[in-house]
Amino acid sequence: MIFLTVGTQFPFDRLVRAIDGIIDDGLISETLFAQIGESSYRPRNFGSAARLEKKVFDERLKQASSIISHAGMGTITMALSNHKPLLVMPRLKRYHEVVNDHQVAIARKFAELGHILVAYDVKDLPDGIKKLKNFIPRERKINSEAVVNRIRSFLESLG
Amino acid sequence: MIRSTERLKICLVASAGGHTSQLLELSESWSGNHTFWITTASALREMLSKYGQVYVVGECNREHPLRVLRVLALCMSIIIRQRPDVVISAGAAVGCITCFLGWLSGAKIIWLDSITNVDRISLSGRMVRYIADVFLVQWPELAQKYSKVEYAGEVI
Repeated sequence: MIFLTVGTQFPFDRLVRAIDGIIDDGLISETLFAQIGESSYRPRNFGSAARLEKKVFDERLKQASSIISHAGMGTITMALSNHKPLLVMPRLKRYHEVVNDHQVAIARKFAELGHILVAYDVKDLPDGIKKLKNFIPRERKINSEAVVNRIRSFLESLG
Repeated sequence: MIRSTERLKICLVASAGGHTSQLLELSESWSGNHTFWITTASALREMLSKYGQVYVVGECNREHPLRVLRVLALCMSIIIRQRPDVVISAGAAVGCITCFLGWLSGAKIIWLDSITNVDRISLSGRMVRYIADVFLVQWPELAQKYSKVEYAGEVI
């Protein structure tokens, strides 16, 4: 199962509609389930829900063979911590999908580091979906302990 | 003034969502101190209440100047009442406002710029940078690009 998610804040019909069309074209053989936000668009080719409870969302994510989503940091970190291949399409300011183009910058950075695949626009999606099946995301190492220690030592220097 | 025999009083401030998640990743750094929280959404009140008192001031950003003024007034009254020794913020606008108010009242300022700021630091961060005692970014390239900015690691 491929899990398509657009995050909890706003719908992202440009992505949902494009995926629906790609299924029409026969480019996705797996079943697909989508979390699409409060959208007026009704997908023809797959089941969807506006929102999912966190528990259900986590289950869907774990069951999925791969994930397609907007370039939201929450989804990216969840996909990476579950070692799931992820294809993102960034929300764009010019379509009023977001207030600025920070998702493009995030998508580009994480793709450069080998963590995710990115489709900058609808036309890049078929190619991204083809690659998604065999994509092995590079593991992301974080070091929150170093950040905690830096702040802790500063606070101790005050005490 | 910092009290040497007491724990520090720390104001934690971030807008709801990713900024708050990132600030919560730092919870071990402030544990053992007296903390209170300024947030933008009442939905977070219960979850944040384990860190002390929670003030909900509502959402604001630079597109809505009147809301900024409202949040400014609310934050000012909180800072005057609480007089924190330290303000720790992960953004965005509400964090920027509170950092400046805290700084004016003599608090030390710690800022964690969001992981989502990849190519440049946030607008809020660019302002707070000049008054921050510790300014942390989560991409090493940004620490090279800006003065007064350091990279220690990433929290998410």
